[in-house]
Amino acid sequence: MSYQELFPIPVEWLEDADRSMAETVSAWGEQEVKARRLEHKEDYDALLLPAMKKLFLDIGLQTLLLPEERGGGGMNSPEAATTATAVLENVGAADTGIGFVFANSLALQYALAIAEKRSDEALGSAAGVFTGDDVSLVSLVLPGYGTDTGDKPRYYGLDFPATARKADGGWVVTGGPARPQCCGASAAAFAVVCDLGEGVPGVLLVPGDAKGVQRGPAFKKTGLAASANADVTFDGVEVPSSALVLEGMTALRGMLSWYYMACAAVCAGSLQSVHEILQEWGDTRVIKGKGQIFKENPLVASLMGEIGGKMGTSRLLTYNLARMLSKPDVYGNAGGGNLHVTAISAFKQVGRLAMEAMDNTMELMASAGYATEWNLERYWRDVKTVETYVVPETVAETCMARQYFNLKQL
Amino acid sequence: MRTIDDFTRPLEYLTPLDRYLGEIGRRWADTEVIPVRRDFDEDWEHHNLIEPCFRSLQGEIGFQRMLFPEDLGGWGLGHSGYMGAGAARLFEEVARADSGMAVAFGVLFWPLVMICVEPHVNRRLCEQFAPMFMQERPVFAANAMTEPQGGADIENMEIVGGSTIQTTAVLEGDEWVINGHKLWPTNSGGVADLFGVVCTTNPGSKDPNDLAFIFVPADTPGCTQGGPYEKAGMAADKNSDIWFDNVRVPSWYRACGPGLDAMYFKEVISLGNLGSISFVSGSLMNVFEILKDFAEETTFRGKPLKENDDAAGVLADFARDVDIIRVLTYQYARMLDRPDLYGDRWSDEIVAKGRAYKYFACDKAVEDLKRVMNLMGAHGSDRAHDVEKHWRDLKIVQLWMGGKQLCQMEVARWFYECETL
Repeated sequence: MSYQELFPIPVEWLEDADRSMAETVSAWGEQEVKARRLEHKEDYDALLLPAMKKLFLDIGLQTLLLPEERGGGGMNSPEAATTATAVLENVGAADTGIGFVFANSLALQYALAIAEKRSDEALGSAAGVFTGDDVSLVSLVLPGYGTDTGDKPRYYGLDFPATARKADGGWVVTGGPARPQCCGASAAAFAVVCDLGEGVPGVLLVPGDAKGVQRGPAFKKTGLAASANADVTFDGVEVPSSALVLEGMTALRGMLSWYYMACAAVCAGSLQSVHEILQEWGDTRVIKGKGQIFKENPLVASLMGEIGGKMGTSRLLTYNLARMLSKPDVYGNAGGGNLHVTAISAFKQVGRLAMEAMDNTMELMASAGYATEWNLERYWRDVKTVETYVVPETVAETCMARQYFNLKQL
Repeated sequence: MRTIDDFTRPLEYLTPLDRYLGEIGRRWADTEVIPVRRDFDEDWEHHNLIEPCFRSLQGEIGFQRMLFPEDLGGWGLGHSGYMGAGAARLFEEVARADSGMAVAFGVLFWPLVMICVEPHVNRRLCEQFAPMFMQERPVFAANAMTEPQGGADIENMEIVGGSTIQTTAVLEGDEWVINGHKLWPTNSGGVADLFGVVCTTNPGSKDPNDLAFIFVPADTPGCTQGGPYEKAGMAADKNSDIWFDNVRVPSWYRACGPGLDAMYFKEVISLGNLGSISFVSGSLMNVFEILKDFAEETTFRGKPLKENDDAAGVLADFARDVDIIRVLTYQYARMLDRPDLYGDRWSDEIVAKGRAYKYFACDKAVEDLKRVMNLMGAHGSDRAHDVEKHWRDLKIVQLWMGGKQLCQMEVARWFYECETL
């Protein structure tokens, strides 16, 4: 039985072209990642980077959402949300880290090519980042916790990673050290959420090799081997006016809504592989000395039922969010308060459900689930890392409460 | 200023050695391990960084001696009346630094429990093996239990009674001849000098007389260890396959004898549960230290993170659970130290309650650490803060010794008098 048959989402939401692309990516995952994993484990140069090259360049995800006239895949309309979700689900099934790296790129591609108030100037300026002959990694640099007290403009209580001020027809970006979402050590460009003045947020695209961009050493982290991350400082970095990708709260929230959708799809996709792993384990183990097939034990079965429920729910939530983002005429702008909070909520729920499903799976597999040989622990580490990176729990909960219960002060 | 020493322990349960064990363990952790532990993950295979830490703890300070009788060079903890509380204190301090080290250290005593602890001291075997541990290099022992075909079935004594054990011991003259294949023992992968092997003398039998616990020095011909498994964490704890191929040992290497091996093996399970709870307690106390610093130095909404009500709620839940788990640790230690009050350490009741406390502590810890990591955001999953290390490491504490489902079954069997589970 296929994953779609086991955990269905409304089939009418996907076009044949979407399914075809998802199948292509699924085949890529089997051949370029899963088949080579035992040999190369999580080696970046031997496994992950070559796999990303095939995915981003040969299959074309690096320019998926950009218009054809800019050298892109031509999926520059909101309907691409469901396509992107189907693609990301399969990338996540192969490697959560690669999916997360692509999610960063996708969010920026959305802001440049699909967002309601997109800038042709910014698209023209940025297109070159995506359309070269090599893998071009981009990273969002989002607001985060700070280290100083007192009043200053903040984003939902978080410090902006940088400020941007107009100068000589362009912008000067100053801030950091800040923690990028991914690839701080290797990104070709950073999409930096800046305070443009008086707390008005904007996203500026800063080339990784711009003068004044200083990267710290790559640091160790729980998972996401595909993302060599490092803190980054912007020391008076000068960029042209066309580097301004978006401006204002609604536009920023729109980009983030797509980012949350992409990350939810990656987490839900990781569960596809977890399902495969647990299916094999449950079919082949015997317990209690009676030759009882593991999955046929009632206690085991009850937990497997819960796990399956979480897999199905995660998928439904993710595709429902994608569907809503694909229909702004029906559901409104991606940056509108309602839809943005739905996106946050969906991501948080999917992340939590994915972690619970993987925790429970590991409990059923015991030590085998903890050994690298069975691959489960890789997804477990990776998804947890995604969950911690994308939005701090406190901020997500505050945003949801504000919207759901009409808070006035927080 | 609040410290980890403000977490509650029932003071009347402590050993007279508590202060010394604590201070020595704390100093060792702070000077020898915590400064280098962040690189342990990459050291999982060769232990170049990890081995010197074991050397100072076990060999130079000498903790590896502590279970043996004093006249054999040991510290007599096996007949002290406070083995549980002493072990809990020391395991907490080691796990505060690294729970992988704590399990490797704790498991070195595991098979020795069968021969060093009253009321079932096997003096001849103590005399035989004590010299092995009276040296300055770290010496390890291991329990070879789990087998490929049945996983946790070996630990599932109540229901399968040893009937699934496929590692055989056949008495030929005055020697046991052992054949079989074991998986996953802590301190395998070339680490252990001595194995306690769970065997059957009559394959398929549920008769407790047929379960044998036999000691096998690791250098015995026919005993082969594979390379260590690569895992999500716990780099200091090496695990591998072990093969016993016509391994011959003297007949008196059997720990306690027919019927008694099976009975006292349950005491091994009880002590394993105490160790597990202690590892959780120690690790969580270290997370508290890290989290307290983080919540003071990091700002949110323009003030320290800890001064935000929503963050404070998470911090409070975490501190609450650390406090409860620490109390539970010493409560169970007390139960093991006072069989006159609580029953034999190998009784079904003590085993079941140990399982209950262990899986309660582990479930709480795993959930708490996930929340703490989420609160810390991107810093929760970077290795610079070590919280993620404790999260990865503690997950396997939840999984080992039969995992959660076996814990649930043993607890249900005892409390609800289930007869068919």
